[in-house]
Amino acid sequence: MDVILEQYFDFSIWTENFDAIMEGFWLTVQLSIIGGVLSLTWGLVLALLRQLPGRALAPVRGLTIAYIDAFRGIPMLLVLLLVSGSLGAFAAEGVLPQDIGIPRWLGRSDPFWYGIIAITITYGAYMAEVYRAGIEAVPSGQMEAARSLGMSHGQAMRQVIVPQAVRKVIPPLLNDFIALMKDTSLVSVIGLTELVQVGRDIQSETFNSSALTLGALLFLLITIPLARFIDYLINRQQERTSRTGGGGVAEPAPAGAAGTGQTGGPV
Amino acid sequence: MAEQMIQLRGVTKRFGDLEVLRGIDLEVGEGEVVCVLGPSGSGKSTLLRCINMLEPPNEGEIFLKGHNICEGPGSGEGEEGWDIDYVRQRVGMVFQQFNLFPHKSAIENVSLAQRTVLKRGEGEARTKAAALLNRVGLADKLDEYPDRLSGGQQQRVAIARALAMDPQVILFDEVTSALDPELIKEVLDVMRELAKEGMTMIVVTHEMGFARDVGDRVIFMDGGVVVEEGPPKDVLDAPKEERTRRFLGLVLEH
Repeated sequence: MDVILEQYFDFSIWTENFDAIMEGFWLTVQLSIIGGVLSLTWGLVLALLRQLPGRALAPVRGLTIAYIDAFRGIPMLLVLLLVSGSLGAFAAEGVLPQDIGIPRWLGRSDPFWYGIIAITITYGAYMAEVYRAGIEAVPSGQMEAARSLGMSHGQAMRQVIVPQAVRKVIPPLLNDFIALMKDTSLVSVIGLTELVQVGRDIQSETFNSSALTLGALLFLLITIPLARFIDYLINRQQERTSRTGGGGVAEPAPAGAAGTGQTGGPV
Repeated sequence: MAEQMIQLRGVTKRFGDLEVLRGIDLEVGEGEVVCVLGPSGSGKSTLLRCINMLEPPNEGEIFLKGHNICEGPGSGEGEEGWDIDYVRQRVGMVFQQFNLFPHKSAIENVSLAQRTVLKRGEGEARTKAAALLNRVGLADKLDEYPDRLSGGQQQRVAIARALAMDPQVILFDEVTSALDPELIKEVLDVMRELAKEGMTMIVVTHEMGFARDVGDRVIFMDGGVVVEEGPPKDVLDAPKEERTRRFLGLVLEH
């Protein structure tokens, strides 16, 4: 029993390596937040491109669908290796500007940005599908009402459809964010010492897994509250829809309240 | 009647193999109120949806104040061929299911398109929206969200929303069909006022009383064609066509 406890919960390992572990955790958090925000944005762009109307834009829709299908079907690890192994080469050949081929924005290393790019490419495709489900769940009467008022497709999307769609899909988007956060550990293969890699390094030095256990706990520190928050949002949404489901009659107005005494009001 | 507001010539609409409108000819004068009656599936709603291009017709011509709206930029098959902006900014529409924007308050529902389409300033749009909501009897509901309003109130907001665009014609698509009986009158009263003020209206409805009192003309449709049309009294009390008689018999029985 003691052997097991010591293997996973040797507190001296935690205290001795606390700074290194926290540094790895901080890197994981940065990758998650920057990658998450960019994926959310890129996913929405993809979803909107997929919904563009008219025959003339069919090629754009087709390309978008091809992109989404492709990157949902390829392991993120493979995308990561493709990005990190080729962008630098393109920069060296002069095909890409140095700043894009070997990105070192905001004082971060190029592997950091290769990781961010791979995360955004992959999770953008996933999130595009979530947005799409939300957009398609908005009743068609909303688009018709907006268009009948003279709004363009773009105006109707921006002002009417997307705000409603996003509200509907916040829970599944946060679910994808949890998956994204866990997948940031893949960037260890291109030399970034994030939370999992820190644990591995310590494990191979000490033959003890406690650093990895702490890593697991740190992941849960973020993902469990997030999961509870998602449940809360879903419950609240369900309450709302059951409240307004029956025609939305809150307080019937007295019959004939309209049109009496308001004739000739300013228009 | 005065000048022609809307003219339809041979308007045909197909959904796949199903021909929903089979060559509709119709003229609506300025200030005229035309009520469209007919059994479900007769093409009444599709007719309205063709006029404001939610469903562009397959064949035929539609004129709005003499302007052929079928000769839009690009003039081709499908949506690109129709002068959609010209139509929609002049033709308002009110729907059976209200279709208010649920994430916007009543006053925001009425001001949104004024700002995005007509480019009115926020102050101007809100002033106009408040005046219109007052006119439909909802001065005390400006900041309520649609899910806090009754069906009748929601429909009156929808009418105010259509009016905010200063339309020359308003199309009403069975606007009282989704309402509880006690809420129907408040919506019909608003429409009655509009008619009195000279708004050109095409009203698809099952409210025979409204058609009789407010309609200048009644059109009976069945199977995608206009079966009979004339003054409300003639069509409702002394229908010439067998199909009209049968329909009115079924509707008025209860």
